[in-house]
Amino acid sequence: MSRYKLGPRLVNHVNIRKTHMSLKLCWRTTSLLTMATALIISTAAPKAYADIPDEDYRPILEHLLTTVMPPKLDALNDATVDLADGLTNFCSAPDADGLSDVRGDFHAAMDIWQEIQPWRMGPLVANGRDQHIEYWPDKHGTATRQFRKLMFNKPVAFTDPVKLSEASAALQGFPALEEVLFDDEHSDALITASEDGVFLCQYGSAIAANLVTITDELRGEWPGFADAMRTAGPESMDYPTAKFAATDLYRALHEGLLIISTQKLGRPLGDSEKDAKASRGESETSKRSLRNIHHNLIGLLAIYDGQWGDAGEEGKGLAALIDSSLLDRSFRLNWQTVQDTLADLPPSLTELLDQPDGYQKLVDLRGQIDFLTSLVENDVGGNTNLGGGFNALDGD
Amino acid sequence: MRHQRREFLKLMGVGGAFTLLPLDLARAATPAAQDRATYISASAGDHDDYYVSAFNAAGKILFEQPLPGRGHDLGLRPNHVDVAAVERRPGLYALILDRHTGDVRAKLHCPEDRRFYGHSIYSNDGRFLYVSENDFEHQRGVISVWDANDGYRRVAEFDSYGMGPHELHLMPGGDQIAVANGGLHTHPDQDGRTPLNLATMEPNLSVIDRKTGALMHQASLKQDWHQLSIRHIDVAKDGAIAVGFQYHGGLTDEVPLVGTYRPGKEIRAMEAPDTVQVRMRQYCGSVRFDASGQVFGISCPRGGIVTFWDAKTSDFLTHIAAPDGCGLSATDRAGEFVNTSGLGNGWRMDAIRRKRVELPDDSHKSLRWDNHLQRIAI
Repeated sequence: MSRYKLGPRLVNHVNIRKTHMSLKLCWRTTSLLTMATALIISTAAPKAYADIPDEDYRPILEHLLTTVMPPKLDALNDATVDLADGLTNFCSAPDADGLSDVRGDFHAAMDIWQEIQPWRMGPLVANGRDQHIEYWPDKHGTATRQFRKLMFNKPVAFTDPVKLSEASAALQGFPALEEVLFDDEHSDALITASEDGVFLCQYGSAIAANLVTITDELRGEWPGFADAMRTAGPESMDYPTAKFAATDLYRALHEGLLIISTQKLGRPLGDSEKDAKASRGESETSKRSLRNIHHNLIGLLAIYDGQWGDAGEEGKGLAALIDSSLLDRSFRLNWQTVQDTLADLPPSLTELLDQPDGYQKLVDLRGQIDFLTSLVENDVGGNTNLGGGFNALDGD
Repeated sequence: MRHQRREFLKLMGVGGAFTLLPLDLARAATPAAQDRATYISASAGDHDDYYVSAFNAAGKILFEQPLPGRGHDLGLRPNHVDVAAVERRPGLYALILDRHTGDVRAKLHCPEDRRFYGHSIYSNDGRFLYVSENDFEHQRGVISVWDANDGYRRVAEFDSYGMGPHELHLMPGGDQIAVANGGLHTHPDQDGRTPLNLATMEPNLSVIDRKTGALMHQASLKQDWHQLSIRHIDVAKDGAIAVGFQYHGGLTDEVPLVGTYRPGKEIRAMEAPDTVQVRMRQYCGSVRFDASGQVFGISCPRGGIVTFWDAKTSDFLTHIAAPDGCGLSATDRAGEFVNTSGLGNGWRMDAIRRKRVELPDDSHKSLRWDNHLQRIAI
């Protein structure tokens, strides 16, 4: 086989030219590095990328799967324990301050979940676990419909975490708890401990307890999955090479950005400004749709960078395979630009869309995410040899 | 899952024996050396160079015939040397090659107002070649008919009863053709590949009388799943059709990607366990029944896995990783397949014993193997 192979080529390079041209108009700030990178990309012939020895992928798997992720799964479980405790305390003597505290617990748990959510692989998706933790997107309004019915019947089974775990996914995770804690109609009921409020408190406690169980199972199953990935080899029917195992991490990075663009931003944006609807966003009942994206980006960058808060180490993720410091710096700068943009926006889509230029700001944010996606497809996918293959990119 | 697998092994007649087989004996149970067939597929080099290439069961390249553009699937003329290599959509040419040498025996030109869609089949008597095509101005699919006994003259065409017809197969008996109408409208003025009707696409599976062009049966998925493009199929000897879908909706939407169909009934959707379903990445490549007609394999090149299913019970059986693996062909052994990859690899896979063995001769690794693989039994 030849020493050099053509990377995931022409189609992507054409795409990035188009993407970059359309983005130029809507970006408020464009770094020189961005321009330099775009120039390199747009004028390049189909690129040749050096083959990377399979063993070079193994330390990245080892680092991301055994050093970086486990403490985050512990943190998620800890956060759900705090949330469950918080609900128990609140329900024993409900008042406005208590509700505010438990909402804070909800946000803390949701923050860490949103960082983990894009790592869609292994135990995270096993037995529909990610959907049980957070049933979203809910295209057909299943959760609302089922919640309404639930409040009409108030079945006792839904106050038992074990029985709840066998119920519809739409009624057992973060969105259901969000409905309990943040819907204005329920706040008074909770605080006054009315008949509805008592049921909501018991149901909310069951949801939180169930989340503790699910996230505990998740962290318990992770090491086995990590072992299968990091010991990839020809005898494995799941991961025959370390490179192939690393492809799942690359895909999580790539698809995580696509999901932000098409679902988390695309759904509320609709087809036009008139069609825009904040309620189609994720977690908008708790007014944190954009805050979710900020945390998604933290978890996604960890795949590239190798550091995630106080876990891991910079440069030990996929970035370890990037042999161009210019591309690496450009990628990081562009990523930071998106986080800076988000920092200037309110956490709530409703609040943003209420601003006169809110819709355009959201369109701009989506453009920036799409540009990151094109950098992942071309620069990261190409330089790490983890981008789509000949058949995978075919679409036929 | 374990129960399903045990039931399946019983049906295959290997249950009790296999569970006691030590690993090395299980390995020895699939001797590639006894397979004297030729495997043939479209392929590509590293510099936009395209071929039809053949290799033996060991993976040794037998010939490479250059193509003017990227190929897709190959149609095998029964009891004849002819092999039809129809250009990938939007295709303009098809070459008829000698299956033993790769020599070009005839060339088919697509009419100006049509585009080939990469798949073809011959009638059982070998006289007529049927090619799936796009009548792009009228946004409909057609099946063209070419007379192999008359220098491959285009003699007729009939409606495919849907948009974007892709893979087609003869039904048992040979009088009817099953066509996977992917539901996608494309136009050569807009690259001929980009879907232009994602919001309104209506894929279906049609069974058509090949002599009259009449629609005999048609099935669609429920409206919620209208973005599941029905693209690849295979037909078992008993008339069961295995179907692979390609989803054009959200990445996280929970949709089936596999189904089975019997004319006159509904398409029965099937799902793998979540960890496998996610790795299928909403996209199926090739579909092939095994020699027994009970097991079928579906390759998922975006996820780099091949999935295996039981057509009788509609159960998922197992999966085997195959980086960029797409081409899939059944060997003459129950549950056994050959799979080829866009990265150059070729494997023999045993769905019953969940085993993957790389083809021993490295010569096949010099090429990227395209979507579909055919087996020519000697």
